[in-house]
Amino acid sequence: MKGLSSLERAVLECLGKKSLTYDEVQGQSGLHENVCFNILQALIIRGIIATDGMRYRISENLSPLIMEEINGMNAKLAESLEIIEAVLDQAEGRNFKFAKIAMDTRDEKIFLAMLSNLESFLLDAHKKSEAAVPLKERKVVFWGVGQVSTLMHQMIRGK
Amino acid sequence: MSLQKKTLNRYRQYFPQETLRETSARTGIQITRVFRLFNGKTMKVGELEAFEAAVNLRIAENPNMTLLSEAVESAGAILTNEELAKVTDYIQRKVKARSFSRMYIRNDYSNASIA
Repeated sequence: MKGLSSLERAVLECLGKKSLTYDEVQGQSGLHENVCFNILQALIIRGIIATDGMRYRISENLSPLIMEEINGMNAKLAESLEIIEAVLDQAEGRNFKFAKIAMDTRDEKIFLAMLSNLESFLLDAHKKSEAAVPLKERKVVFWGVGQVSTLMHQMIRGK
Repeated sequence: MSLQKKTLNRYRQYFPQETLRETSARTGIQITRVFRLFNGKTMKVGELEAFEAAVNLRIAENPNMTLLSEAVESAGAILTNEELAKVTDYIQRKVKARSFSRMYIRNDYSNASIA
């Protein structure tokens, strides 16, 4: 498997540029104790994070090869799929809408403008509360749009 | 890798947390013999069959396992290399996420005293 799993990514995002103790990582990620510990160990083995025995931090001078593996497009797409699937599988409080909408050109432009507004709103909201809201309390939001015929052809072509 | 090693590794994948006593009960092989086998002693055919039978029983408990094997075979014949990579990555991610949740008890040295 290339890249990171979304669980590993969550731990890395908690660490960011800081160095944290195990309890801090666990508190911020909201992961179960054993899961958190196993992920930290897996990341240490891969050389992505380092520890002095008490605190964990992202390794300095990660090779470009590892950086590409972690942040490459394919790895990120696979991670997104993992999270989207988890949202779909949510047992409680699931909020997911999927529809094939008929839109004329004018409505499509309005819709894309609204998406752009939504994106700016989310970016602002994130900037405002980033420091105060730990990773485990953040919300996963995703959106996307495609034309049915293009998507169908893509599926048939196998891409 | 020898057939014996492969069989034992496969067995461990299906029963990762099992104790020697449980393995002995499941396979019908004496506990001391199980210990020796896991430490590289050569297996008899009957013992190999006992390990294989235990794994096959576990597979039979989960009917989707057969479906998965069939799907993988068809996928190998039909899907493009790119699609196969996606499917593989998907399965590997599932396995990895689950493997993180395997129990691992951290040593608690907080109350330990130095003798």
